[in-house]
This record gives sequence, C-alpha cells and structure tokens, in this order.
Amino acid sequence: MGRVLLFEPCYQRVLRPGETSHAVRLLEALGDEVTVVGGQCCGQPAYNSGYRDDARAVGREMLRSAREATVAIMPSGSCTTMVKHYLPTLFGGQSREQADDIATRFSELTAYVSAHPQLPGLSFQLAGTVTYHDSCHYRRELRQTDVAIGLIGRIEGLELRRLANEAECCGFGGTFNAKMPAVSSAMVRARVADVHATGAQVVVSADLSCLAQIGAGADGTGVPIETWSMTELLSRALQ
Amino acid sequence: MSGFASRAAFDIRSGMPEASTRPVMRQLAVDTTRMRHRIAEDAEQRATAARADAIAHLEELHATLRARFAERGIGYHLAATPEEAVSIIRGLLGNAKRVAKSKTMVGEEIGLTHALREAGMEVLETDIGEYIVDIEGRGPSHLTAPAIHLNRSQIRTILEEHGEDLPDDDPTRLSLVVRDAVAAFFQDCDAGITGANQVSAASGRIAIVENEGNVSLGASHPRLHISVTGYEKVVRDDAGALAVLEVLASNATAQPLTSFTHFLADPMPGQERHVVFVDNNRSAIAASERYHEALQCIRCGACMNNCPVYRAAGGIAYASPYMGPIGAVVSPLLWPDGRYADLPFASTLCGACTDACPVGIPLHRMLLDLRADSVRDGTTSSRAERAAWRAWRTLFTRPAAARFSTHAARLALKAGHRTVRRPLDGTRTLPAASPVRRPDALIPLDGIEPLAPYVSAIPHDSEGKDLVTLYRTRADAVGVTVADHCDPRPGDVVVEADAGIAETGSVLLTGANAALRTLLGGRRLVIHLHANTLVRWPRGLVTSLGSRNALILTGASRTADIEKNLVRGIHGAEEMLVVLHTTPEHQAENGQVPA
Repeated sequence: MGRVLLFEPCYQRVLRPGETSHAVRLLEALGDEVTVVGGQCCGQPAYNSGYRDDARAVGREMLRSAREATVAIMPSGSCTTMVKHYLPTLFGGQSREQADDIATRFSELTAYVSAHPQLPGLSFQLAGTVTYHDSCHYRRELRQTDVAIGLIGRIEGLELRRLANEAECCGFGGTFNAKMPAVSSAMVRARVADVHATGAQVVVSADLSCLAQIGAGADGTGVPIETWSMTELLSRALQ
Repeated sequence: MSGFASRAAFDIRSGMPEASTRPVMRQLAVDTTRMRHRIAEDAEQRATAARADAIAHLEELHATLRARFAERGIGYHLAATPEEAVSIIRGLLGNAKRVAKSKTMVGEEIGLTHALREAGMEVLETDIGEYIVDIEGRGPSHLTAPAIHLNRSQIRTILEEHGEDLPDDDPTRLSLVVRDAVAAFFQDCDAGITGANQVSAASGRIAIVENEGNVSLGASHPRLHISVTGYEKVVRDDAGALAVLEVLASNATAQPLTSFTHFLADPMPGQERHVVFVDNNRSAIAASERYHEALQCIRCGACMNNCPVYRAAGGIAYASPYMGPIGAVVSPLLWPDGRYADLPFASTLCGACTDACPVGIPLHRMLLDLRADSVRDGTTSSRAERAAWRAWRTLFTRPAAARFSTHAARLALKAGHRTVRRPLDGTRTLPAASPVRRPDALIPLDGIEPLAPYVSAIPHDSEGKDLVTLYRTRADAVGVTVADHCDPRPGDVVVEADAGIAETGSVLLTGANAALRTLLGGRRLVIHLHANTLVRWPRGLVTSLGSRNALILTGASRTADIEKNLVRGIHGAEEMLVVLHTTPEHQAENGQVPA
C-alpha cells in the first residue's frame, strides 16, 4: 500500500522508545511501508512559552523533512495540532503557503488508522477493562474523541469505562508543569482520582505526554494505574 | 516562582480549591452544559453578533446613548482611568454618608469600595457573597460566585468574628443573617451603587441581572442611583441586550434567566440616576487586531467554571478582579504595566475556556499571543530562559544533535530514577523511563460499578410542547406556582404581566407594574398572565418592552452564594403565583412549538 513517514515525537525517545515499534507494527499490518523519522520537533514547547522565533526555526526543519512525503503520521494529538493549526501561522507570504501545503499532509496516527481502507480487514482482541483519557488537543483542537472511542470499540473483549469529568486536563501543559508545579500536581491528583474511580487499572490516551503526567501522579500517590498509548493498545490487541 | 504560581501553591496547600472550588465548578459545568443544550440553537451566535457589533461601533453607540440618557434625565459619564472614575463617583455622591453597593466587577477594578471608605463613607456590600468576602478581606474569587472559595463553616466563622451569633452553619441561616443586615442598611442610606450588564444605546435603558433583589433595592430606595460599568458594555438596542440575556444566565449559573432582569429607564421623581463608564485601556483593546474580541465578554464566568487551572488553584491566586481564563487575558490588557504579565502562563492551553465561551472569544489563542507579547517585551522572560531556548533551538535544528540530546535526556532520566525515588512534591515522581507492564492490569470488572459515572449532556426537551405547557413546566422549575385563579391573602401585591416567556418560565412587567418599591414590599406576588402574550424565547419580548422601566421576573428572589446551595426569598416576596388566563381560541392560535 502507501509509503508513509512516521514522526517520533521528541519526548517519545526520552520516555518510551518502544512506542515506535508498536506504531510500525500497526501501520505495517495495514499494508503500509513505514519510514521512521526521529530527531525532529514541531516547535510547540517554545511556541507555547512565547518564543516564536525559536519555534519557527525548529518547526521549519520538521516541515522540510516532510517535504517529499504524501502522508506524514504523528502519534500525538498535541504535536499534530501544532503542525496543522499553529506552525504555519509563524510563516508569511510564500513560506506560509508552503507550510500550509505540507501541514495538510500530516495526520494524527489514530485518525489515519481509523480512516484506513485496510482497517476492516484487521482483527483486534484483548480481554479486560480500560478507561480513556482524552488529551486536550486531541479533543478540542482536532475534535477526534469519537475516533479514539471508535477504535477502542473495535477491540473484542475489551470493556471501556468512560471517565467522569472526561474533558478535564491532566495538568501536563508542556512547560506549565515546570512553571506551575503545585497547580500541575493538584490537577493530576484529580485526574488520577477520576481514573481510579472507574475501577480500571489501565488508562489509554492518544498522547504520551498526558500519560507521563498521569503515570507520575499515580506512582507518586501509590495508585496502581498503568498508562498505555492508543498505539500500544491497538498493537497489543492486533491478532 | 512567579506571583500566580506561588499564590496558587499557597492556596493549594490550604486544601481550599480541592475541597470546595473544584467539586462546585465541576457540577456547575455539567449544569450549564445542559442549559446550553436547552437554549435556542442560534442564541450564542446572536449574542456574539450583538457584542461584536457593539465593539466595532463603540464611539457611535456611545454618542447615541448619550443623547438618549439626556432625554431620560440619566447622567452620562466617561472616565479614562480608574482614578478618574473614582473621582467622578465621589463628586456625584457629594456629602452622602451611607452607600449601598451591589456586585460590580468594574467597581472592583477601580477599587471603589476602598476609595469611598478612605473618604469617610460607610459602604456596605449588599450582595451576600460580596458581603462575606468583604469581611474576609481577600476579595471575590469568582465573577458570579464571589465567596465560592469559602465553605459554610468558614463563612460561619467569618460572620461570628463580625459579631453574629450563629447556632450552626446552615446555608439558609447564614444567607438570611446577611440578608437581614443588608435590608436594615437599606432602611437608611443615601446612595445605591450597582453595575450594569448591557446598556442599550437606542433605548437608553440599563439592563442589569440579579438574583437576590439587592440591585432592585439599590436602584429604587436611595435618592441617588449610580451604575458603574465598562466602556464596552453598550449594545446597539434592546434586541441586542435580549440576545445577550438569552445566553448569560444559562452559561453563568445554569438558570434560564436570573430572578430579576431589569431594564432601568427614567429615574423616579426625586431620584437621580447616573451611569459611569470606565475606559481603562478598553478603547485601545477595541482597536487591537488580536484582542478586540476579549471585549465581547459578558462576564458569565463559564470559562473559569470549565478551567482546570482555576478549579485547582481557585480565583484568589489571580490577584486580579478578573480571574480565570478571561482574567488571564484582560488583566494584562487593562493594566499593561507588567503586573499581570504572568497570568497568561497560568493555563495548560487545554482550550476548555474557548469551548465554554458563549460569545466566541478565542481565549486560549489569546493566551498564546499574550505569552509571545510578554517574551517580546521582556516582561516575564529571564536571560537564562532566553539562553535555554536558544540552546534548544541549536540542538533541534540539527537532527543528529537532537537524537543525541534525547538519548542523553533518557540516560539522565534513568539516573534520576535511581537517585530520586520519592515523589518530588508529594504527588508526582519523575516520569517513567519505560513503563512496567503487569500481566493482570487489564483485569475485567464485570459487575463492579464505577464510583463516579460518566455524564453526558441531556438533549433539548421542549420539542412538541405547546407554549402554555412549556411555560407551566419551566415556571414550576423556578419555583413559581401557576394557577387558573387566586384566593386573595393579606400582603398580596397584584400586578398584570405584559408578556410571558415559555422557555424560561418568566413574566414581563412594564411601567407602573414594574415599580420596584411596590413589588419588593409584598409578601406574595400575584401576577396575571394571558396565554396569548406568551413568547418562546426572551427575544420575543422586543416589541412588548415598552419605553419605560421594564422588569423580567423569573421566580422569586434567591441566592446560591454559599456552596451553591439554593436559598429562596432573599429580598421581596418568597412566593410567586402566576394566574394564567387561557381561552380556547388562544390555545388554538399558539399551536405547537416548532421542532
């Protein structure tokens, strides 16, 4: 089938390098030829901190590396939001047009999988219970909540328990969690309590950054919760 | 740590926001979301259009308004700065001694209460929540629920230290104790100061919403009524004001409308009425390409109700009269001297505020722009921070260097895990360097119920109901008794309604029927309403508002200022009886509510 570029979010290499093989396994099952691109960043950390010149310089490199691609995939709602909604606005004139053009080729991984013509041919099975954390960018910028819920629903034997206060942020917020640590911790305590209240011991999300935050909050407060990315869940359920 | 971060950390350590603010805000967000599904499909679009029109034509609308006010005998005043506003109000108050003030955020903005007290006047905050936070001394923590950071036992302590004798902390008792103190003050005061929600340029009327009845008292009892509001709070006409009112209370407090919606016109004989508009950089914001939409705000508070940072930190930490996401946007714009430059960083940019805003303000995008402004102007960034981003840029514009640095960061994280085993601040550990997977984590939970169930929005429930049935349902929901006749009782005040609103359970009183002094004096309010005057939405009242005072009543006066517990019958009648006159031909004319 198609040739796709798979972008590794910069923090993924730090936190969970194993994620990439889950994503490759999933995409190859769909018949795609995958090229992994690492060492790039969308520029969001600097952009969200107000450093737009630095964000533009870094984001430009990412757009350049996708110049020849027809499909570029990011396993993150947050990075995808940056590339599609914000990064192009940092450029003017002809560069803006080029940036817009490249940005339209980017897809968030679950959206790409969900719309893939070969998806109906795959079978997913996993017995157990999970809950789902909707990352803020995935929910409100990309409006993809139904995509994740739909994919989880394809997994035979898996019960999904929706979170109370599903729309509430986990408190990660990029540099926010370092700038306002007490607020960030108070937020994750609430999120961990919501996850715990479902009874599920696995929380799934499309964004690894939220999961790192929830995992740190769960470990720190002694709540037995495992944090799985959507990629890992689908890869493990793949028959 | 910056100002907000350290103040928030302090309040979080006290346990306050986690115990009271968050659960109340979560429930309020659920309730207002349900109401949002119940209002007309185009209501938010119409309100947004009315506000955007006003912001685009501020000078024109103020010129019209000034002429209308002159015809009505209402004083028009425009203050460029908070200091000028205070000085105008002091001049208007003359030798007044006792001033009854109701809720006005612009009053907070210009430091009015403090300034008048400094000048030797006795000022009483007459809104129950404001009365409490005034004694507490830290100011309001929410736009519509000023005392929401306090629980009932803290409020009891505050009132006891103020000299009240209280046997328990029952919210009804606490509310009524404050009510009695306020009512006593109104017996003898020289001036009433209120805010204003929208001022209609075409009709020269001041729209104010309230639940307790203290605005009704302040606008009708003292010989002098001063309304203080923002320069942007003008709207083209009554239709525009009604468009805003259609979305305001539903998004603020999950009410269809507040108990009282005033359209104040000419002062009563012997009474003086003035409106003081405060600019304080609003004309500059209106002219700004990126931030003018911030002036569309109708101060409903939906952004903070839905904000996870506000829920965690509470409103006091913002140290501004405007808190939450809208506060983080307008505070640095109203005071561009840098004192609020850190507030735009008090957000995870989750976008819940933008989604919740009924008038389409792109709040989280404005926060991003304000962050870039503050870095450009050097108001928040340190030299070390700029150097760090510069270094980051050097690494991440070179893929090999970026790969190397992420690899190094991974090694550092693993080393960190070997040295730091406990959570850094009692909550979070370092992020896992590779998650451990337990074989039994996915354990099936057949038959074990979750502790907190997922709540989804409830759809509209009025389709197919005729206006009379709908009116009865909604009136019942706001505590109004609807009957086909009335057995008179002593203490009844009997008035005739000009119209009724089916979707909100409201009645419209105009002219002599809207005389506040009479209405507030009754023990029971009996209102005759003819079914053929029912309209579906507030917008339908535009032809029946008349040109004098008008008042929309939606249930008896009430408060929910203490932990959001509802207490009915604050100022004025506790009981409201609507005698609904229906005739067969009226029912036939009304027909069905269109789907």
